[in-house]
Amino acid sequence: MKISHRQHDKVEVFELDGEVDFHSSPELREKLQFSVQKQADRILVSLKKVRYIDSSGLATFVEALQKVKRYNGLLVLSELAPAVRSVFEIAKLDSVFALAQSQEEAYALFAQNQKR
Amino acid sequence: MTKVNKSMEKKFEFFSTSKDLTQFRDSLKSLLAAAGLGEKKEGEIILAVDEALTNIVRHAYGHDTGLITVMFFDYEDRIEIFIRDSGKLFDPTKMPPPELPPKKPGGLGIYFIQKLMDKVVYQSVPPAVNELQLTKFKS
Repeated sequence: MKISHRQHDKVEVFELDGEVDFHSSPELREKLQFSVQKQADRILVSLKKVRYIDSSGLATFVEALQKVKRYNGLLVLSELAPAVRSVFEIAKLDSVFALAQSQEEAYALFAQNQKR
Repeated sequence: MTKVNKSMEKKFEFFSTSKDLTQFRDSLKSLLAAAGLGEKKEGEIILAVDEALTNIVRHAYGHDTGLITVMFFDYEDRIEIFIRDSGKLFDPTKMPPPELPPKKPGGLGIYFIQKLMDKVVYQSVPPAVNELQLTKFKS
């Protein structure tokens, strides 16, 4: 899996390309944890090019989410393909994560969160 | 269960590393595509098998690597997959279901296997082999 990272408009943006599984999760975890340790309060992970995720991938996101919540940050996952979204749904994590259909929607969520 | 015509059978052997697991998943995708179940069922089987194999890679052999054997059977009415390892004896069917949504990372692999496959049977094969049988009906 390829992970690209950039900062845009005070948002840490990660774009994933490939499969988020037991093999690739450690690298994703390391990169997310780096942002979390800096207490980045806006983290966007685009899954537009993710075609597969397993429970290792979910665990990586759950860990990041828990830590982000502790400092009142917001982690948004965007552009989940139906097959990927269904894995979140099976684990009932679709009710826990902020899921956006587009990066624009994600930025709107960040703006809303800022106003609180 | 009545045995119906077996159209295809294939055996895989590989080591319990995450890289081998990813490579095997690609092989499984090809087999399932040929079986013609449709994307949804294919995806469910791939995820369930991946979770079973990940459990072996993570837990069965400790810090060592060991051998994993997968037998794939494509029957007229179902797909059957047998997964064998010689690691620590462990019956995943005895694990209680996790709390959903999970409050902490991890613990979902076995739940996915049970949820996504139609039948999950574990047996310990003498002398000390774990065997997991996963079945998915085609209709």
